[in-house]
Amino acid sequence: MHIADGIISTEVVLAADVISIGALYAFGKKTDADDIPKMGMMAAALFVASLIHFPVAGTSVHLGLFGLAGILLGLRSFPVVFVALLFQSLIFQHGGILSIGLNALNMGAGAIAAYLLWRVSGIPEFVRAFTAGFFGIMVPALFMAVEFNLSGYGRGIFYLLYVYVIVAVIEGLLTLTIVKFFRRVESPILP
Amino acid sequence: MKHDYLDKYSSLDSVLHKLDPRTKIVCLFSAVIVVISEPRGETTAFLFYYLILAALLLASRIPVSFLLKRCLIASPFILMAALMLPVSFLLGGESASGNLNIGVFVFSLSILLKAYAAIFLLVLLTSTDKFHRLLKGMRRMHLPNILTMMSALMYRYIFIINDERLKTNRARDSRSPGRFRSGCIKVYGNQTAKIFLRSWKRAQTVYQSMLSRGFKGDFPEFFRLQFKLPDMVFAVIMLVCFVVVRVFI
Repeated sequence: MHIADGIISTEVVLAADVISIGALYAFGKKTDADDIPKMGMMAAALFVASLIHFPVAGTSVHLGLFGLAGILLGLRSFPVVFVALLFQSLIFQHGGILSIGLNALNMGAGAIAAYLLWRVSGIPEFVRAFTAGFFGIMVPALFMAVEFNLSGYGRGIFYLLYVYVIVAVIEGLLTLTIVKFFRRVESPILP
Repeated sequence: MKHDYLDKYSSLDSVLHKLDPRTKIVCLFSAVIVVISEPRGETTAFLFYYLILAALLLASRIPVSFLLKRCLIASPFILMAALMLPVSFLLGGESASGNLNIGVFVFSLSILLKAYAAIFLLVLLTSTDKFHRLLKGMRRMHLPNILTMMSALMYRYIFIINDERLKTNRARDSRSPGRFRSGCIKVYGNQTAKIFLRSWKRAQTVYQSMLSRGFKGDFPEFFRLQFKLPDMVFAVIMLVCFVVVRVFI
């Protein structure tokens, strides 16, 4: 899901970068100085979580935890995702440096979608937790497919969405397990 | 525990290592822009770009094997993207209209060349300086404080959290040696939650300690960045080389 430089057309990358910078400003400007360490920790946790590989059908997938970031941090999850991606790009070359806005837009949108779903009232918590994890992956996958399509790659990328549905179900179940664990052990951490 | 994948070759003694981080940030970012601005399907110019990159790699004294490992890590997604176009033509039925021709494969090749050149430049940037110096360079270039502060704290927390991850991995494996754990979502979920909670509390303790030592939202600077003549010479030579290839080839 980490798009490298040179893959998506320059116009799409620039547009996404502009949107991401705007979102970064909008969601980051009201951040309290005391919240920055918490956000830095969450960015580090997102980074380390991506190192946990989960065995699936002879291969492995890694966690994204964008849904969990959305649940725990709300709108501030966007700057957190941005920094985690910046770090991944610089240290591991996961995603390009000029495509940072594009990747942040995709994955940040997943976190924001998860936050909005988590806030919906009248739905049991376990359903909200699962859908937050599920859409934390599906929204970025959908955005990515649209960007590939706009860059002239044809419709092939949309077939890949079927694979992401499996990953999103796993992520949804993991997010549900994590939320249940938090509720049992450290309830105040959940908003 | 040792996490030597960060800053592994940043202590080498080379021309690139001695440059001001701001010089490297500006030059390498500009080079990435030049490379990805090449029109689709262009392949000849990349012969020259890769020659320049090889010269930079030689000057940096970073082992080729390290660079190749980095490229390998990023490869799955790049290869998927490069194969996407021919696959789209085959799956989407465009091949029936005769559009699947050699041009599609040249297009895919140019994507590969662009992506790997950009990775090459990123490896050069991050392996020839310590991460905290790069952050300082970014701060001096007026990157928003929230980003640089979060990055600096993230850089510190990563070691703590990764240690927690390795400890919980060991605990999990010692409780179920050799067992195939596919489907044990609960085990992985609880492990991740545990890592989160422990790290969260640890991070709060670390932050309280920082505050009690007089932390006011910025880290003290123990070194000065200086833009010198070699920085100027390097910047001019590098940018001229990339622009010449972009414009004339």
